[in-house]
Amino acid sequence: MSNGNPANGGAERCTLCAEPPVIRLREPDRHLCAAHLIADVEERAALMIRERELIKPHDRIAVAFSGGKDSTALLVCLTRLLPAWEDVSLVAITVDEGIAGYRDDTIRAAEEVTKKLRIEHVCISFTDLIGDDLDTLLIGRETQACSVCGILRRKALSVAAHKAGATRIATGHNLDDEAQSVLMNTLRGDLSRLVRTSDADSHDCFIPRIKPLAGISEKEIAAYLFVQDMFPFLPECPYTRHAMRLEVRTMLSAMEQKHPGTMRNLIKSKRAIEKHVNWRAVSEPLRRCRQCGDPCSGELCQVCTLRKSLGK
Amino acid sequence: MKIILSYSTINIMQEDPVSITSILDKLTINPSDVIVSRNGKLVPEDTLISGDDEIRIIRIAHGG
Repeated sequence: MSNGNPANGGAERCTLCAEPPVIRLREPDRHLCAAHLIADVEERAALMIRERELIKPHDRIAVAFSGGKDSTALLVCLTRLLPAWEDVSLVAITVDEGIAGYRDDTIRAAEEVTKKLRIEHVCISFTDLIGDDLDTLLIGRETQACSVCGILRRKALSVAAHKAGATRIATGHNLDDEAQSVLMNTLRGDLSRLVRTSDADSHDCFIPRIKPLAGISEKEIAAYLFVQDMFPFLPECPYTRHAMRLEVRTMLSAMEQKHPGTMRNLIKSKRAIEKHVNWRAVSEPLRRCRQCGDPCSGELCQVCTLRKSLGK
Repeated sequence: MKIILSYSTINIMQEDPVSITSILDKLTINPSDVIVSRNGKLVPEDTLISGDDEIRIIRIAHGG
């Protein structure tokens, strides 16, 4: 319960102790101090990992690590939680897309964090993967930035994770990201993507992906890092303005503020739909790309389709 | 008091205590999109501020 003072609407201390609060959470309504916020975030991430069996003994986890706040929080959190699992190791993978004025700063931040946490760190660039950086690939097609970048980033991550011997790929997706994806897939009428879980039907072909922070809001993650002096003050990706996700994020964020629980309810709806829909029945069967042999749903995988359209 | 946004600083003459929520409201900023520090320490938005407080409003979304 919140200890808010009705005279001013605020709270002088944490709901759980006498320390000053750093954040107000509304589900349930409570104020938390820095120590209780850190404990709360890490306990909920640990619960998500245990309940969904996201990590198993002897796993080698590749953390998709951009150096931004979500992946930094994930790396910090996993570094603290993993001693609870037997013989689990971490490797941080940073994908350098080649975005001028943006990625250099985040890569520097990523290097500092991995050094501080003593985590093995590898980088892979779009130039390594496809011969050009993203800025060059996008000349004249800037509005497709997020889709082109997403396809190549997934591929780069997968290549680097295989090379590093990873058994899982962990991404820093948070509650806001997950709710946005549900709404975007619904708006696009894409039932297949809506009901596809991250590791559905993928064990034979792909390294399974896990999202330990999927139950934690973006704001909690930012606060979790800020109180540990680890919040990365970085520029915004210059291509974000082209993304449909930005519109959805603004809309959902306003809804969440007005109606707390909106994002969680969206995800609950997705889970309810998942239970009643056979993923295989609404998706194309997995095949092999005739160009590169990677698993895909059409004749060509997305990367080879992209290569073809780019003349690569 | 001084309000620091990402790329600008606003000085507000405010004698009486006011909540951060109402400042955000005036600046049309959704509290879900930011975290706020007072004199360098993170505080909830229902905190009252006044006098010489320095408030920093930090946008939290920037794309991975």
